[in-house]
Amino acid sequence: MSKKPKGAKGTFSDIELPVARSYPRQLSRRWMLRTGALAVALVAVAVAYGQFFRGGRWASKGALSSAHAAFGADCSNCHATDARSVTDGKCSSCHEKFGDELGVYTFAAHYLYRSDDFRRLVPSAEETPCYACHVEHEGRHTEITRVGDARCEACHFASFADEHPEFDFVAEAIEDPAAIDFAHIRHVREVIKHQRLEDIEAACLYCHNAQPDGRAFESISFDRHCDSCHLTTTTSTPGLPIAGAVDDGTLGVETLEQIAERGGPTSRWVYFSNPNEFRIRGNAVVKSPLHHNDPWILDNLRRLRSMLYPDAGLADLLPVSPDAEPHEVRSLYEEAIATLEEQVIGLRGRPEPEIQAELSGITTLLERLKRQVADPFAPLDETRFALALDQKTKELEPEREREIEALIAELTQPCVQCHELKAGTIARVQKDQRVLRRAEFDHRAHIIQVRCLECHREIPIAESLEQEAASSDVTAVGDVTHAENAADRSAIQNLPGIETCRTCHASQQASDRCVTCHYFHANKSRRSDLLLYLDETLDETLDNNPKGNPDEEPTS
Amino acid sequence: MRSWFYAFVSAAAVALAALTANLVWSELRPENVWGLVYGSVAAALLVAASALGVRRRTMKASSRLGAGRTRAWLDFHIYGSLLFLLLLLMHSGFSVPTGRITWWLWALSLWTVATGLVGRLLQKWLPRVLASGLATEVLYERIPELVEEIGSRAKTVAESSDEAVRALYDRMLAPALGRPRRRWIYFVDVTGGIQSRLKEFGYLRALLPDEEKTRLDELERLFRAKLEIDAHYTLQQPLRWWLYSHLPASFVVLALLVLHLYTVLFY
Repeated sequence: MSKKPKGAKGTFSDIELPVARSYPRQLSRRWMLRTGALAVALVAVAVAYGQFFRGGRWASKGALSSAHAAFGADCSNCHATDARSVTDGKCSSCHEKFGDELGVYTFAAHYLYRSDDFRRLVPSAEETPCYACHVEHEGRHTEITRVGDARCEACHFASFADEHPEFDFVAEAIEDPAAIDFAHIRHVREVIKHQRLEDIEAACLYCHNAQPDGRAFESISFDRHCDSCHLTTTTSTPGLPIAGAVDDGTLGVETLEQIAERGGPTSRWVYFSNPNEFRIRGNAVVKSPLHHNDPWILDNLRRLRSMLYPDAGLADLLPVSPDAEPHEVRSLYEEAIATLEEQVIGLRGRPEPEIQAELSGITTLLERLKRQVADPFAPLDETRFALALDQKTKELEPEREREIEALIAELTQPCVQCHELKAGTIARVQKDQRVLRRAEFDHRAHIIQVRCLECHREIPIAESLEQEAASSDVTAVGDVTHAENAADRSAIQNLPGIETCRTCHASQQASDRCVTCHYFHANKSRRSDLLLYLDETLDETLDNNPKGNPDEEPTS
Repeated sequence: MRSWFYAFVSAAAVALAALTANLVWSELRPENVWGLVYGSVAAALLVAASALGVRRRTMKASSRLGAGRTRAWLDFHIYGSLLFLLLLLMHSGFSVPTGRITWWLWALSLWTVATGLVGRLLQKWLPRVLASGLATEVLYERIPELVEEIGSRAKTVAESSDEAVRALYDRMLAPALGRPRRRWIYFVDVTGGIQSRLKEFGYLRALLPDEEKTRLDELERLFRAKLEIDAHYTLQQPLRWWLYSHLPASFVVLALLVLHLYTVLFY
């Protein structure tokens, strides 16, 4: 046993180890605090370095998305001095150089949503700046266009599964505005028969030709889809009385010669028409064959209509009636301008100096009009066309009015096999098959998984054809039955309601987020005008140097 | 202790209910109202939980001010930190932040809470283990000094012994008594197979005269004590060193929190 050393406080354990003379200091704790302080100091140094040598980027919430990566070198590229937020002006300096109040990225454009319906322009208190939806600094690979549903819910509804409203055409029982007498079942049957198809849906796609990206379909075209069966060489008008053949004011149509003799800017087509298509028998004329948009019929129809509607105004410039959907109003103006351009070409052959003097001004005016109509944000008023045909003349005797209407009916007898007559004109056919104007639908993405007739089942095409195949009495079912006619009219929107969408688009299944089907910035037109995105300095250079010589210094 | 646990469970339930409401009515984002509330509460909890360090370094002053028992502060430190972690994850939308400051703040917060939990487990487990199987109790800081004392005594005993005992000392004891040694076996078996290592003393004792037996017994006691001190050395080391992984990181977390609040408020 060791001797107790001087100053010792005793021993412990069975081998009598000496008790410590003083409380042992835990050196590790002191070092720990020093290490912590050193770490904090390193953080401070890193922040100071970032502040003074890296433009304050230490404060960044995270890397910018790939598209904005180039702006990350300098915070002031986007942030103002208070650095808290980014003004919309900073965004639009790149994204919307034209920046008018109906620009692509404005709320106004969102309200319109490709509808061209300016009644929708009702400002909301929920309007927010760009950065509120497009959250940046979330990492290089973040898609800032993938906006969460909560942003939409501020104005709209919370759930696709429960609260998304039914499509308008279902909820309000809006009929298809095709304005054409068309039966799907009959046409599918004919296509299958003549093209020897075995698949019903192949017959659908025979006429419904997808656009290059497969999302939507091209408009149905008479020349491509109808011409092979309709308006054959034997199609003709009935014998129509010739105008002025008897000098008793008898109502009639003008012959090719009469129209040529009358002349005028609208009759240039006469010189390209085949006189052999007209057979004159006594005081009557028969035209055979007929063409789609037959200029002789349309010219006579326009003349007869002008007797009923002498002040048709802009509607006179249209080949068919002006009743277009709001989103198609631009096409009315385009048709009117095309008619005017045709008339300008007709007037070029006129020798009168005063006409030639006017033509230059008219051409310039038409060019300006075309630019205005092409501007997707220029409000266009469709009522200027429609109202004109509401004003029927009151100067005609009722008897005379009925005579005109009877002649119009006779003249358009071949047309009304398919078309409708409206106010003395052929009713406009809605060629655009796109019904969901405010939503995106990709047929290609869907047809991979679902067949056409699984969704488009309002018209019982498959059932009717199966019934026909099962029946031995082919002639009886081969004809269009009354029941089939009732079930298969062009007015039937052969589109599913939203419940069909919900069978696949639901939680745990296909995406049911707002941005799956909807864009916020729906109107993408004019984006291809790359001049809009050029640097302002280049704009100034071009302004000062109209000839565009890049070597020339701009004048002050 | 139990009341703190119940308080924590209640607070966590409230937080999860808020999270559910948040997911129903809004997005889980740090910058919206929901996210800012989570972040603010988390920041307050972090600061409050860190006050344990201040309490520990100002024991007398805190006692005079009636700041409560340290045990209560420790319980709040543990459960408050767990709640802080939950709110931090809710604030960050259960995803990894992409900013430099926020990434480090998020990662070091996780690290600090995780090392704190590890430390808490060690504090619960190791003292119990040390007390259960060892006869000797030593302070970690005194271990080198005591090992030196044991070595010195063993050497003295060996020098006064005969050839056989000295041979055992030279072959087995001298290398083992030179310095404290860590052995992983103590984490599994706190005795570390001491009995089997002492078998040679038994074999030799049968061959020795009585006087040498006394010296051999003394050497055996010293060797046993050294092996137990080695167990303390091995098991107390994590108890000392886990704080190195916890405390400096928590300093940095607090510094980063200040920076984060600055960037949120002024950027």
